[in-house]
Amino acid sequence: MKRREFLKSLPFAAAALAALETGSLAGLVSSPVHTNLLRPPGAVPEGMFASRCIRCGRCVEVCPYRSIVPGDVLSAGFNAGTPLIKVTDVPCYLCMKCVEVCPTGTLRHIAQADTRMGLAVIDRYACMTWKENSMMLCRTCYNVCPFKEKAIKLDQLRPVIVNEYCTGCGICVHGCPVTLANGKKAVNVEPVYAFRVKPVESER
Amino acid sequence: MGLSRREFIKRTAALTAASYVGMNLPLKEENRAQASDVDGWHRGVCRLCGTGCRVELGVKGGKAVALRGVTGSRTNMGYLCMKGMLFYRLMGHPERLTKPLYRASKKDSFKEISWDEALDIASREFARAVRKYGNDSVAYYGSGQALTEETYLFQKVMRAGLQTNNVEGNPRLCMASAVGGYITSFGADEPIGSYANIEKAKCFFIIGSNTAEAHPVLFRRIMRRKLDHKDEVKVINADPRVSPTSRIADMHLQFMPGTDLALLHSMAWVIIDEGLTDREFTEKYAVFRVGKDKKQVDFDTYKKFLDDYTPEKASRICGGNITPDKIRTVARWFAKSGGTVSLWTMGINQRKRGVWANNLIHNLHIITGQLCKPGADSLSLTGQPNACGGVREGGGLCHILPAHRLVKKDKLRHQVEDLWGVPRGRIPPKPGYHTMAMFTAVNQGKIKAMWVNCTSPAQSLPNCDLYNKGLAREDFFLVVTDIFPTRTTEYANLILPTAFHFEKTGVYGCTERRSQLTRKAVNAPGDAKPEVWIVREWAKRLSRDLNDPVIATTVKPFDGLEEDYELPEAIWNEYTQKLTRGRDNDLSGATYRVLSRMDDGVQWPAPTEEFALQGGTVIKFVKGYDPLATKHSKDENPYQFYGPAHPDRKLWVWLRPHKGPEEMPDSEYPFYLSTGRVIDHWHTSSMTGRIIELMRSNPYAYVEINPADAQRLGIKPGDMVEVESRRGSNLLPAKVYEGPVKGMVFVYWYDQAESRMINKVTKDAYDPGSKEPEFKICACRIRRVSGPRPLKPFLVQMKG
Repeated sequence: MKRREFLKSLPFAAAALAALETGSLAGLVSSPVHTNLLRPPGAVPEGMFASRCIRCGRCVEVCPYRSIVPGDVLSAGFNAGTPLIKVTDVPCYLCMKCVEVCPTGTLRHIAQADTRMGLAVIDRYACMTWKENSMMLCRTCYNVCPFKEKAIKLDQLRPVIVNEYCTGCGICVHGCPVTLANGKKAVNVEPVYAFRVKPVESER
Repeated sequence: MGLSRREFIKRTAALTAASYVGMNLPLKEENRAQASDVDGWHRGVCRLCGTGCRVELGVKGGKAVALRGVTGSRTNMGYLCMKGMLFYRLMGHPERLTKPLYRASKKDSFKEISWDEALDIASREFARAVRKYGNDSVAYYGSGQALTEETYLFQKVMRAGLQTNNVEGNPRLCMASAVGGYITSFGADEPIGSYANIEKAKCFFIIGSNTAEAHPVLFRRIMRRKLDHKDEVKVINADPRVSPTSRIADMHLQFMPGTDLALLHSMAWVIIDEGLTDREFTEKYAVFRVGKDKKQVDFDTYKKFLDDYTPEKASRICGGNITPDKIRTVARWFAKSGGTVSLWTMGINQRKRGVWANNLIHNLHIITGQLCKPGADSLSLTGQPNACGGVREGGGLCHILPAHRLVKKDKLRHQVEDLWGVPRGRIPPKPGYHTMAMFTAVNQGKIKAMWVNCTSPAQSLPNCDLYNKGLAREDFFLVVTDIFPTRTTEYANLILPTAFHFEKTGVYGCTERRSQLTRKAVNAPGDAKPEVWIVREWAKRLSRDLNDPVIATTVKPFDGLEEDYELPEAIWNEYTQKLTRGRDNDLSGATYRVLSRMDDGVQWPAPTEEFALQGGTVIKFVKGYDPLATKHSKDENPYQFYGPAHPDRKLWVWLRPHKGPEEMPDSEYPFYLSTGRVIDHWHTSSMTGRIIELMRSNPYAYVEINPADAQRLGIKPGDMVEVESRRGSNLLPAKVYEGPVKGMVFVYWYDQAESRMINKVTKDAYDPGSKEPEFKICACRIRRVSGPRPLKPFLVQMKG
């Protein structure tokens, strides 16, 4: 092995080691989807995703906002090459182009309003309008929501998520002015639907 | 590593403080420490909108680290919006202008020079223009964001020194119609009541204002009032666009753009028809007038005039969702509430018939007697923090001198000359160019040198491409004083860096006649200087270059004073003690000493320090509350309308016919275009765009399209859409939602990107009375250009 190759392989080895350390090989095969790191619209449940997706990259290519990025080996392991949306970087603007190009049906045809990438959850201890005795008037999440007044409503100028309508697009997360030490925002999208056996939204 | 008990308590305290301040909580360790134990809190007023929220700036180690509201303040009661909470980041921002920059030709790149050189150049160029082309070849274009002291001193030097009335400011673009409306209807500029009426009102009539986004803190008060008295308080919102303000409305009147004059007349018709007028009030205090010659008519003529605007006829004119029933209901709510507050901003003011629209709102208040009483007021909201205080009161427009004196009136002009100690005849009797005429004169080469202070006309003028051609002329010398590069600095020859808010001392006067002092708390970065110092030094050089000792006398009283406190105080004292004393905006009680002691500020008239310390006049024209009403009382009536413009001491109800906008949609340009503000940005976003939290939530402007129109034109959300008028075009991403009425599109105007500056598209027609342009309505067409594209936020940067 050449010196250069050896050095190149180091990160992989480190990743494998890290995975072993945290939970044997599970780290490499388990889903990378977690808070604010989501699948594109219409994705099949996470249990099937990695085996259905052929990593063709068409959804990545077609995304006009560069929201969809392919998972890399280091963080996604076995899921490397599968599409992910990190909403804190670029959220999904729900143009629904990716579902049209997916050749395998891993991203199913779905209407914009039926998208359920996750569910936005407001951290009432971090949100500056919800905090006790707060005198700050922030409505950023409400203002930027594509389903304003449906998915986010205001209760006396404080935002409230309506679970029924939230698509989990993450635009509110991206806009939220509060960033916590762990990188989370005062509103975060939790991929609650990804790990259910049967998704809640109506299948078409 | 263990945490000592002391350390732990310190950090906990830090966190609590940080959360109270509303800082981005943990951010980074060093920031947290900063927000916690600040060295001190410095009182001032918010730099942004016209609400006049009282804020405190937290300073640590000479750096601004936090902002919070002052709970004892009568304007915001401690509440702040996002912009108000974050603008401290602009002090010490890395992109601040810190050195005077000069280029002889607009093709060259800028070179750093010293203040001495810069002031010499500014003086030389203005002197050259005056000598060669006359006094009216120079101009000052100021701002409703400049401190009162700055506007006052600038206009003094221009008028008494350079002998020209070419003194204008951007309030011409936002407030002029409201000024015209107040003067023609009530005889005196500025609202009669205060925000305090909000807590007593039973009905809110919000027309042409998106208060929820443009004045969030004030909106909170309205919302609080509504939510606490759900059944008792009615909120009416009249706007062609459903905005966040409409959300709390009991009734949303969505009329077609430009038809509100008919709507307002129709409400008056219903009020009279159903006998809901306040007879006694009208008989005692009101007269009816019509036409240019202000011919007085009787009540029956007014009644007959309104017959053209029965609800049935008006609903046909108004279109949208307006039905005769809705007009009747709204009129009844308005008249019978027992306390109605009307609120409006640019939807009414920025119109071809802005003054008339203002008059018609006042009409409703006069005929129902909803004035001078608790919970009743006709309140025009200002958009800028000092449009009222500095420009309207301080003499910052071409036709007015300080303290509401008209240039045209010889007596008043001579009064000012005498008070300033300059020879009579020094101030020319003819008003100067108003804003649109001024920039037209630049285009025509009539103005050779201009000073633009604290504003960006290259982006904020309607049809700006046309006027930017003039700004780009090589024979036109442009000085710009600002804190950041803007679209206007791109046309400048000389850029002078100025101190920002809290980096200098001065007074802002907000919507409700309230003056508030902000004292210097941190040092300006680099060589940035307060404007008052710049003007004083410039005037001395002008005096030398033009060999005219009178110019030097205009700044003589301020010579040698230290610029951070003594100089603005001396200017304020001259303005308030000499100029406003005895006038309707008497501020002689509101000295710096009094203003520093107040939790909020002082509302004029405040003729004595004693009275000012109680907060001043909450409600004008009422005997017992307003010292001037008591002083000028002529009869037994409780209300004394002593306004200088109405010698008959009456309120005037105007018979103004309905007039549509200048440019109506046609087959070629079938859509109405309107513009407005978004909550997170302010004006041209040169400040808010540099606060990352605000920029992230609104990185670029978009065009709002009604779903029905979008479907017809095949436009999907996010598609790139071209918005084109007869003057220019923009390329914007689409937002499809039930906001604008069918047939209308709406665009935010803060974006600085070349392809998203909507003022390239807007129309430069203006109100013949107030000379305020009709930003809010023009005809345009829209076309889908492509699918969504990734866009980047854009801010003008300094080249080189």
